[in-house]
Amino acid sequence: MATPTLTETLDLSAKFPGAVTADARPGYTGWIVEAGKLLEVAAFLRDEMGYDLLSSVTGVDYLPDEKMEVVYQAYKTTGGPGIFFKVQAPRLDPIEVPSVVPIWPGADLQEREIWDLYGVKFTGHPDLRRILTWEGFSGHPMRKDWKEAFYEEDAKPFKSRWPEGRIKMAEERNPFGDNVTFDEGFDPEKWTSNDPEEALYTSLKKYTAETSDGIKTDHILVNMGPQHPSTHGVFRAVVILDGETVVSLKPVMGYLHRNHEKIGERNTFLQNMPYTDRLDYFNSMSNNWGYALAVEKLMGVAVPERAEYIRVIMAELSRIQNHLIWTGMMLNDLGAYFTPALYAFEERELILDIFEAVAGSRMMCNYFRFGGLARDLPEGTLEKIKDLVFDRLAAKVDEFDRLLTENEILVARLKGISKLSPEDAVAYSMTGPVLRAAGVPYDIRRAEPYGIYDRFDFDVVTQTDGDMYARYLVRLEEMRQSLRILRQAIAGLPEGPIITGKPQYQVRVPAGEAYGRIEAPKGELGYYVISNGKPNPWRYHVRAPSFINLTALEKMCVGGKIADFVAILGTIDIVLGELDR
Amino acid sequence: MIWEWLIKALVLIFTLLIGFGYLTYYERRALAFIQSRLGPNRAGPQGLMQWMADAVKLIFKEELTPDNAYKLVFFLSPVVTMVPSIVIAAVIPWGPPVTLFGQTFNQYVADINVGILYLMSIASIAVYGIVLAGWSSNNKYAMMGGLRSSAQMISYELTLGLSFVVVILMAGSMSLVEIVEAQREVTWFAVIQPVGAILFFIATLAEVNRHPFDMPEAEQEIVAGYHTEYSGMKFALFFMAEYQKMIVISAIMTTLFFGGYLGPGVDRFPWLGPLYMAIKIIILLFFMIWVRASWPRIRYNRLMAFGWKVMLPLALALVFITATGILLADTMGNPWLMAIIPVLSLIAGWIATLMVDRSLRRKSYA
Repeated sequence: MATPTLTETLDLSAKFPGAVTADARPGYTGWIVEAGKLLEVAAFLRDEMGYDLLSSVTGVDYLPDEKMEVVYQAYKTTGGPGIFFKVQAPRLDPIEVPSVVPIWPGADLQEREIWDLYGVKFTGHPDLRRILTWEGFSGHPMRKDWKEAFYEEDAKPFKSRWPEGRIKMAEERNPFGDNVTFDEGFDPEKWTSNDPEEALYTSLKKYTAETSDGIKTDHILVNMGPQHPSTHGVFRAVVILDGETVVSLKPVMGYLHRNHEKIGERNTFLQNMPYTDRLDYFNSMSNNWGYALAVEKLMGVAVPERAEYIRVIMAELSRIQNHLIWTGMMLNDLGAYFTPALYAFEERELILDIFEAVAGSRMMCNYFRFGGLARDLPEGTLEKIKDLVFDRLAAKVDEFDRLLTENEILVARLKGISKLSPEDAVAYSMTGPVLRAAGVPYDIRRAEPYGIYDRFDFDVVTQTDGDMYARYLVRLEEMRQSLRILRQAIAGLPEGPIITGKPQYQVRVPAGEAYGRIEAPKGELGYYVISNGKPNPWRYHVRAPSFINLTALEKMCVGGKIADFVAILGTIDIVLGELDR
Repeated sequence: MIWEWLIKALVLIFTLLIGFGYLTYYERRALAFIQSRLGPNRAGPQGLMQWMADAVKLIFKEELTPDNAYKLVFFLSPVVTMVPSIVIAAVIPWGPPVTLFGQTFNQYVADINVGILYLMSIASIAVYGIVLAGWSSNNKYAMMGGLRSSAQMISYELTLGLSFVVVILMAGSMSLVEIVEAQREVTWFAVIQPVGAILFFIATLAEVNRHPFDMPEAEQEIVAGYHTEYSGMKFALFFMAEYQKMIVISAIMTTLFFGGYLGPGVDRFPWLGPLYMAIKIIILLFFMIWVRASWPRIRYNRLMAFGWKVMLPLALALVFITATGILLADTMGNPWLMAIIPVLSLIAGWIATLMVDRSLRRKSYA
């Protein structure tokens, strides 16, 4: 498997003289684009250079330089490395940057997030509202000069936590009621949700009361969630219904928001590793990998062979258990009473047993380290993995196939519904099984191999229909492909060290930026990390597949039934820990 | 004789209430068995007292009434749902007459000569409770549940009614006692009219809001449907009504298609009648539980399409086939001509299945 290489060398500064300059800061790559020329450059990149997939948009606050930066990462769906380009704006409110939603609709939710967390106004964005924090929130929390409640220091470890060896609780110093700041004239006691909710409700497209057959009907507005049995957590969708048909829909999220990224900037590099477990709590192994990849890029450290193989084994086991549990829970969303879910749980427990053996924890594994792994495989674990991979799991995947694939009700519920064309899927920055079900063979393990994935022989599973049934088939087949990779990885597992150098608590990370991305079970999981040479990252951004895949939710649901909405949300495969961060 | 009726009615009601308790236990254990887990096994030996613990819990739960609910209707609708599910059992014969203390007792509360009409009318009342509960809760999910319930009832009541007609044609009577006795002479009606029995079973699932037709309370879509706002004992009444309807409707199906209380030796030992009934009911209930454990839910509009485009025409065809068979056998004087009924109805059922299969393979469906 040869790595696709970038043949043409792209010189944007020559193409747009004056408007685009190369990013010359040490450790940085990419281009700095003038705000006024952004749309032109973006259109050029998409239409002429083929960077059709906007992977991630994020903001960075360079407080010392008095600059606010918006970073774009675009990739080609045909594979190969991506292109970084940045827009810088002076750090004076209002900070305005043109919105790229007209070019890449997938930037929709991400630009809202940047507005929410950094206060960058995107001119031309169709619906710029806060997304993760609540409507009455004061300030933009990711800015470097924004201090949170119980603020102590800019970075951990907080020395104030143990003056003379005595632990003092933060609450003792901050009496209750004194820990939250509000905007001028804002009284939380008198605040009602009317006005902000109004903004949300007016953002829904309402249809005219007259319908085609001349009978006047009324629509009803239903809030699916935040407390709802099938939203997989505290997720909310505001739906306008015409009878049972969905007319308009807006996702509302952030109920589980904890500002993971701000916490990440307070932590040291290694302290972040267990936090990544909590993003997509089904796949802590792959989450670890994405973060380790980004920091390893910055550190320029190589990973020993054995560690690379074990990483692949763990990530693929993680993918299998994720897809298994997805299948079970998906059927639950369709109304099957827990039987498929429990069948899936049975297999998942066995995989979690292996995670427990290697990492000490079943779900929050915290197993990867920069340049290797925390521990080697304990005795007997490889045999267990072999038993699972060579005997049990393949048979179980076949059993799922046999029990479900041809089921008439399942076919009737899934086939032909929520179709997403490949063009739309790419435009909306969908990744993972949803994108591949639409017929785009884009798998980062193949498009831009990381780790040692270029050594393995496996197929990128695609389907052409782009409907929910295709997404189901893709995931089913991906489990088989994962087993194929696992068989090769187990056969090739060498002896040797599992970490480069000796394990250390405090790693030295040179200044610079890095974007590490992996093919997580739910889609492209990316970590954008900026170091300024200090023990803590200056910026730590998570490109969460659950979050970005929801951009197209409205497009997929409108015109379907209310029962379909539940199923569509199920087929996207979201996890709220990652969605709300 | 008023005492006889009173005692029989009380026995029937308590049997149904306790039957409800054990049905929840049975369902949970059977589901657990299918799903490779254990199910309730802590309260009492093998968890047999679980239903009592549940009942006590529900009785002591706080009952909430939403502020904007229509209080009177909100209060009445569980009762409107519950009462028919008990009353409907009055006409079911549980066994042949028994002689006790020199007197002959019939093992039913009442034998009405239009028993089937009684069943139909009482069964339809229960839906009012559901619709009114959905409407009076002043909750959108509940409202949708109520609307779904009424639409579903209209679509499936027709099929149910036509399946009754098939039995009436074969038995020549609307009295349930006579229907059972008619099966003594020929054989179980399920043998003569297998497709009718299956059709009846499917329509029954829709009638009692069981999987895969539990639209009015589809958890994944509309939270808990019509009883979203109910708690405590009011909720328990809905729950009870649903499970008692399951028992009763299985009893009706046993009576109509599976020979009721008939079985070997039932004439000599009339007490065997209720036992045979119980065994047959338990087997039918297992099918309902099995369906719940195995299948996802059909989407609402497809459910309607299935009811109107497949079930109703098929039921009509079955009535026609049955009538033709009986007429042929009568005019030709050869009872063996009745055999064309199962043959023709199986063909009709097979064609219907093919049509469903084809419609599922279609990529777009209204």
